[in-house]
Amino acid sequence: MKRIAGMIVVAMLALSSAVLALDLDSAKAQGLVGEQPNGYLGVVKATPEAVELAQDINTRRRQAYERIARENGITIEQVANMAGQRAISRAEPGTWVRTPEGQWVER
Amino acid sequence: MTRSGFTLLALPVLLALTTACTPRLALEAPKEPITINLNVKIDHEIRLRVERDLDELFSDDSDLF
Repeated sequence: MKRIAGMIVVAMLALSSAVLALDLDSAKAQGLVGEQPNGYLGVVKATPEAVELAQDINTRRRQAYERIARENGITIEQVANMAGQRAISRAEPGTWVRTPEGQWVER
Repeated sequence: MTRSGFTLLALPVLLALTTACTPRLALEAPKEPITINLNVKIDHEIRLRVERDLDELFSDDSDLF
């Protein structure tokens, strides 16, 4: 019984992350959120869903940056900036990215 | 006799002068470029490792980007 419950939890987690991945992509495509040079997701149009999504993604990004920084002996900011550069250069056409000056521009 | 004595004396002096000079030159010159190169190399290696770690974050399995 416990095992079945565990399996259900795992399945739900896998499902929720799949739903979330879709959300991030569609939120980007809708121009609600965009990539910033600091490596974190920024809110372009502040709907409650966009704010919540950005908060969730950014919390988990920060955890990942922290781990990579620790493993390589550099600062979180250095890792985050490298990720930001990469995210902006890979941004799909039609999505929004933030310039280092703070301006939102469409790719 | 005096002439060959002179050359006999001059030769070791010349040798001593040249051998004394060359190691000094060889030691001084490369010092700075070597340390600079080492710093760049370490920085470059860390950068490559971080880029590789970021590959995972940007892969399809991860939903962070």
